[in-house]
Amino acid sequence: MAGQSPNGIRRQAELLAKENREADPGIDKVFWFPDTNEVRLVETSLEVPRADDGLVHPFYFAPAPQDQLPAPSAIALIRPEEVRQARLPEGWGDWPDAVELVK
Amino acid sequence: MIMTWREAFWRQARSDHRVLMHLGASGFEACHRLHFYQMATEKLAKAWLTSPAAVEPPPHVHKGFVRMLQIIKSQPGVRRRLGYSNAAVFARSINALLDLATNVERLAPALAAGSRPNPEYPWRDAQSGELCVPAEFHFPAFDPRNPQMAKLDKLVLALLTNFA
Repeated sequence: MAGQSPNGIRRQAELLAKENREADPGIDKVFWFPDTNEVRLVETSLEVPRADDGLVHPFYFAPAPQDQLPAPSAIALIRPEEVRQARLPEGWGDWPDAVELVK
Repeated sequence: MIMTWREAFWRQARSDHRVLMHLGASGFEACHRLHFYQMATEKLAKAWLTSPAAVEPPPHVHKGFVRMLQIIKSQPGVRRRLGYSNAAVFARSINALLDLATNVERLAPALAAGSRPNPEYPWRDAQSGELCVPAEFHFPAFDPRNPQMAKLDKLVLALLTNFA
């Protein structure tokens, strides 16, 4: 979404990481891939199966300003052993670009 | 306005769902309703798997529905739009449906692999060795009168109605 500040995107990433962890205690690590328009998160959980194709498949959510989520978000759930192994979506950069959002 | 892949999958998922509602009331064999149920839920997941900016179709996966539920159960925007104020309650309500959703996902013939019940192709029962015909199988786990199935039906309808 145009008009989102880098700080705004980061704030939304942190808010989503916090809310996701609270709702699903099975989520362990949360990796944020900075982008100017979209919140991009990869979260790990032992409750999901390994991807058949070795790719990270995010689900894309529209902005929800009424819920303090003014930017669109893309969120993927992978197994811990897929971190730094699974291929990221095009345009997300590489694993070293990830910022881990700690609890 | 040019239609996106995402919008196209939402629209087809809704159409599949309308057919299954029609079939449910028609008295046809259960397999036909389930066929459209599996297709509608697969396309629903693929719609959400597709970026609004995507110029390519979504990934060719059959296992998107359960992963979609595992993701949306912790999304505050989805939760509030579906009328839940409490995150834990919403997550629990989705968790309670994951086993059934997994079985719905496995209805895809590509995953049933000729040895498990599926709504499209005959299969050979692994225990009895007998051939089974979808149209003559009752699929009791997916009976719409089953309370869990009714809850899953309600959730799928709410997702198709409230999001795009």
